[in-house]
Amino acid sequence: MKSSSKNAVEITDLWKKFYIYHDKVNSLKDRVIFWHRQRRDEFWALRNINLVVPKGKTVGLIGRNGSGKSTLLKIISRILYPTKGTVSVKGRISTLLELGAGFHPDFTGRENIYLNASILGFTRKEIQQRLEDIISFAELGSFIDNPVRNYSSGMYTRLGFSVAVHVDPDILLIDEVLSIGDLAFQEKCLARIRTLQKQNKTIIFVTHAPGQIEDLCDLAVWLDKGEMRAAGSAGEVAREYISFMDNLSRHGQC
Amino acid sequence: MWHQIREVYFYREMLKNLVSKELRARYKGSVLGFLWTFFNPLLMLIVYSVVFSFIMRIETENYAMFLFVALLPWNFLSSSIMQGAASLVQNGSLIKKIYFPREILPLSIVIANLINYLLSLFILIPALIFFKIKITPAILSFPIVLFTMVLLVMSLTLLISIANVYFRDLEHIVSILITAWFFLTPVLYSSEYIPESVRSYFYINPVTHLIEAFRSVFYEGAWPQWATLGYLTLGVAVLFLISLITFNCLQKAVAEEI
Repeated sequence: MKSSSKNAVEITDLWKKFYIYHDKVNSLKDRVIFWHRQRRDEFWALRNINLVVPKGKTVGLIGRNGSGKSTLLKIISRILYPTKGTVSVKGRISTLLELGAGFHPDFTGRENIYLNASILGFTRKEIQQRLEDIISFAELGSFIDNPVRNYSSGMYTRLGFSVAVHVDPDILLIDEVLSIGDLAFQEKCLARIRTLQKQNKTIIFVTHAPGQIEDLCDLAVWLDKGEMRAAGSAGEVAREYISFMDNLSRHGQC
Repeated sequence: MWHQIREVYFYREMLKNLVSKELRARYKGSVLGFLWTFFNPLLMLIVYSVVFSFIMRIETENYAMFLFVALLPWNFLSSSIMQGAASLVQNGSLIKKIYFPREILPLSIVIANLINYLLSLFILIPALIFFKIKITPAILSFPIVLFTMVLLVMSLTLLISIANVYFRDLEHIVSILITAWFFLTPVLYSSEYIPESVRSYFYINPVTHLIEAFRSVFYEGAWPQWATLGYLTLGVAVLFLISLITFNCLQKAVAEEI
């Protein structure tokens, strides 16, 4: 495939294999004793994935549980490495896999903003410019100077989301986190994503809900058992997926 | 490898934040807070000088200082390795959720301990003056000795932290080995006490040379042995490259193994 600067993410012939251990041994002693006697099965989480995400587009990954959506997202964000194939990414990535990962419970909200944003690869200056936006978006009020161990789980995820969407990434990866907080906050998150879309950011997000795909995405990819079942415009893929799921539930195979 | 170093540089803000988190979280909630960084070595020194000048009298002149000068860099080494060994496994949830150069985690431990060591010099230097030990120009060679020490500690911490992901009992094995290593390094005693028949074996241990260099710079007021230090620095630099490459090869599967 020809590399082009118009594409934010290019995935070519990607395969990912996991090993499933029946009795995982992790100690030096066990490894020596059970050398080559470990029982493990191969499991191909992704097979032959080819995907091009043009800059500025929003792509939805849809599929049932265990179809490899999150694995694909983790490979794009370089948390996992592919077994075969190549992934090329142009631009800075911010990942929303789990909100508030990397918060330190004893530090205040404000301190954790710096900590969390730096884990995403941003400098102090960049963070400072956006500090006020992050705080006001998270709606934490005076709690921002309290240690986050005193936060409710809602406050915790709001702060995490706020940091991730304000750090000005080129590419934003979102894994089923759009269902956080109360309805009002969800609306706000969606509005924020629309703003990012207008700023020509590339967004890739994982969801179970075909409605969200039609709503937010330009393009969509349907993954099933690690393979690409369909790819194309969001509306089409979503409709295909819906009719497939309807079929499944009618035949009671769900 | 250049890519690795550039990547760590790009994430320097994270490194800085983790180091300051490491330093602040250690004493968070204690009354004296950050002052503990100074009280720890000070109390250590007071205890040693009382014990070794009143109770267990040792012939070595100023034995408390003889020990203190060597023990501080040793503690830098041992606490870096022991805390660093667990650093990747302990932060497993972070590694599975966010990409960042994984080297940052063990390196932040080493740097935090290095800063602790440097701060303890604020106790060491006045103590040298107090015990009337002459500070000579030899002290100018301290940065070179320290550089080699830091490079060695970084290499070992990188290697052990990544190996610990695959062999989880390593951190326990390491803590035993470090105790043995401590007694096999002339920290408590001078290398002159080692029987001559086995002395050459003690010099296979790179830390022996380094501890002697620290002692020579601060306690004896003499320049370190340049030739030895030169070869050692070269060897440690090679080790550092090996550890970076090894770490890079093994870190790809870390998110799956943790």
